Amino acid sequence: MSGITLHDIRKAYPGGPEVLHGVSLDIRAGEFVVVVGPSGCGKSTLLRLIAGLERCDRGEIVIGGRRANDLAPQNRDIAMIFQNYALYPHMTVRQNIAFGLELRGMPKAERNARAEAVARTLQLEAYLDRKPGALSGGQRQRVAMGRAMARNASTFLMDEPLSNLDNALRVAMRTEIKELHRALGATIVYVTHDQTEALSLADRIAVLKDGHLLQFGTPAEIYDTPADMFVAGFLGTPAMNFLPLDRLSPSPVPPGRTIGLRPEAIRVHADEPSGLALPAKVLLSEMNGAELILHCETDAGRVTAIAPRHEFSFHPARVWLGCDMSRAHVFDSRTGLRLEHAAMEV
Amino acid sequence: MKPDNPILAAAALVAGLLFLSPVLYSIFMSFQTADAYYRGGLDFTLDNYGRAIGQYHFARYLMNSLIVSGCVTVIALTVSTMAAFAFARFRFPGGDLLFAATVATLMIPSHISLIPNYLTLAKAGLLDTYAGLILPAISNGFAAFFLRQYIRGIPRALDEAAYMDGATPLQVLWRVIVPLSRPAIFSMGLYVFLTEWNNYIWPLVAIGKDDLYTLQIGLARLYRVNPGEGLVDWPLVMAASTITIIPVLFGFLLVERHLVRGITMGAVK
Ligand SMILES: Nc1ncnc2c1ncn2[C@@H]1O[C@H](COP(=O)(O)OP(=O)(O)OP(=O)(O)O)[C@@H](O)[C@H]1O
Ligand SMILES: [Mg+2]
Repeated sequence: MSGITLHDIRKAYPGGPEVLHGVSLDIRAGEFVVVVGPSGCGKSTLLRLIAGLERCDRGEIVIGGRRANDLAPQNRDIAMIFQNYALYPHMTVRQNIAFGLELRGMPKAERNARAEAVARTLQLEAYLDRKPGALSGGQRQRVAMGRAMARNASTFLMDEPLSNLDNALRVAMRTEIKELHRALGATIVYVTHDQTEALSLADRIAVLKDGHLLQFGTPAEIYDTPADMFVAGFLGTPAMNFLPLDRLSPSPVPPGRTIGLRPEAIRVHADEPSGLALPAKVLLSEMNGAELILHCETDAGRVTAIAPRHEFSFHPARVWLGCDMSRAHVFDSRTGLRLEHAAMEV
Repeated sequence: MKPDNPILAAAALVAGLLFLSPVLYSIFMSFQTADAYYRGGLDFTLDNYGRAIGQYHFARYLMNSLIVSGCVTVIALTVSTMAAFAFARFRFPGGDLLFAATVATLMIPSHISLIPNYLTLAKAGLLDTYAGLILPAISNGFAAFFLRQYIRGIPRALDEAAYMDGATPLQVLWRVIVPLSRPAIFSMGLYVFLTEWNNYIWPLVAIGKDDLYTLQIGLARLYRVNPGEGLVDWPLVMAASTITIIPVLFGFLLVERHLVRGITMGAVK
């Protein structure tokens, strides 16, 4: 178990532009950190730097209290799940999983037993003697996971380890990862595009965009107090609605403000209510289990809201949206930054 | 499988026989007596093989050729594979220059280095030894170049996965790169072995003792055995030639099944 500190990390690939512009992260020992961000923002690069597969141009990496900038990957005691799996094609699933153990000199019987146990948790027992070429994408991904899980590493780096699995397997594997984290107490840095994964697994979430770290905090902090409009819009489905404040409020208000409202802060009425409400035309209505997701057009702009399905016809033509302003976020329209205490003024 | 086009099959058969005919004829000839060969007629005998092995030391030559070609192949492949791995995967000061120098050696005709090599080995006292036959052939620029190109085609992610699994660079080479380069290494091995097996000039220059002669030198000397004025004992030469090609045939059959493609399937997404 070891903490990881990144201090002002900068990285450019040879002959390319800089992809990480001074990222600092302080990951505590045993912490489960999830890194999210749009495609190409540098998530994999960040993992590769921690792994030692890339060298940073500036900044410092400290692993377990030791400066690790010049430490070879094989000496960092890190297990990694690669985004593209990187399975050894000439080895069977069993050998793939046991390879790291073999390199550490574990006797054959013991490492095979271990590999089989890991394969069982990953529902891969039937494929132990196959080579990766004869596996489906999801099976390969689980082998990649097994290879990391078999090792007792102090740190695990996982680059979208569940991206290719069906929903049931994904939920099952999420539990396994959680269990692994609990059992080993290892530090885990986990990259995902899946919000549910991010919110449910993370002790803390790091939001990355264009090589900048926008926010690093607990899921609740990220969700309840997003640092800016990007973070606010990135986490949560359906995404937060952004409306210009001056179009929303009848009385004069400070200019250049944007209101952020999550769909759950908007109450949908079928008939005009007595209080303040925005009349809205429904453009599209999506069925989502017990709820309807309504994409509406209002005078203030487009709004997405959630309505309980039993109270509405499938495609209501017209609804009224009551906004719970106490749950609204206020952002500076120009910088996108959240204005911490502005919510009260509205 | 779809049945082959009969016309194509027949054409392939004819072409195959055409290529094989000289070999078949020389094998047939090796079982004739010299008398029958020159008079015309058929007279089956094993005597040519007996003489080649007994009287003309072909068992010894065969052993020498196997030792020399075998050692050259193993050592040259080892050296080239390691060099290729370094060139393909590591950036180090002077690396590009070294690689350029390696490629440049491909453009130098081998006969140019004949005399310098001779002088060097003479100085080192290695003429008339196995080492003298083996050493000049173990640095093989072509093999290093060829293997480097092949290794560059192996996803680097596999090296990285092995490093993360705790492997040292040598373990990555031995446990990941070499198994995955097997087709290239075996075809290169076949090529190096054949080149050395057929090498004539260097053993001729470097060896003066009969018990270190290789098959090719021995073969050439058989032309001097004459059964009559101005004649060559062709059946004897053909028997010795057959002895010379048989190990190569076996070698090829042995190696062929390793020349499979598609070995990196399923490695990366
Ligand atoms: N080997 C490389 N050489 C040059 N540029 C690279 C290399 N690898 C990545 N990049 C660039 O660096 C940036 C960050 O890439 P990275 O793989 O870290 O993104 P990512 O956040 O993991 O994206 P995704 O979610 O799609 O996996 C991208 O713009 C990419 O084009
Ligand atoms: Mg990535």
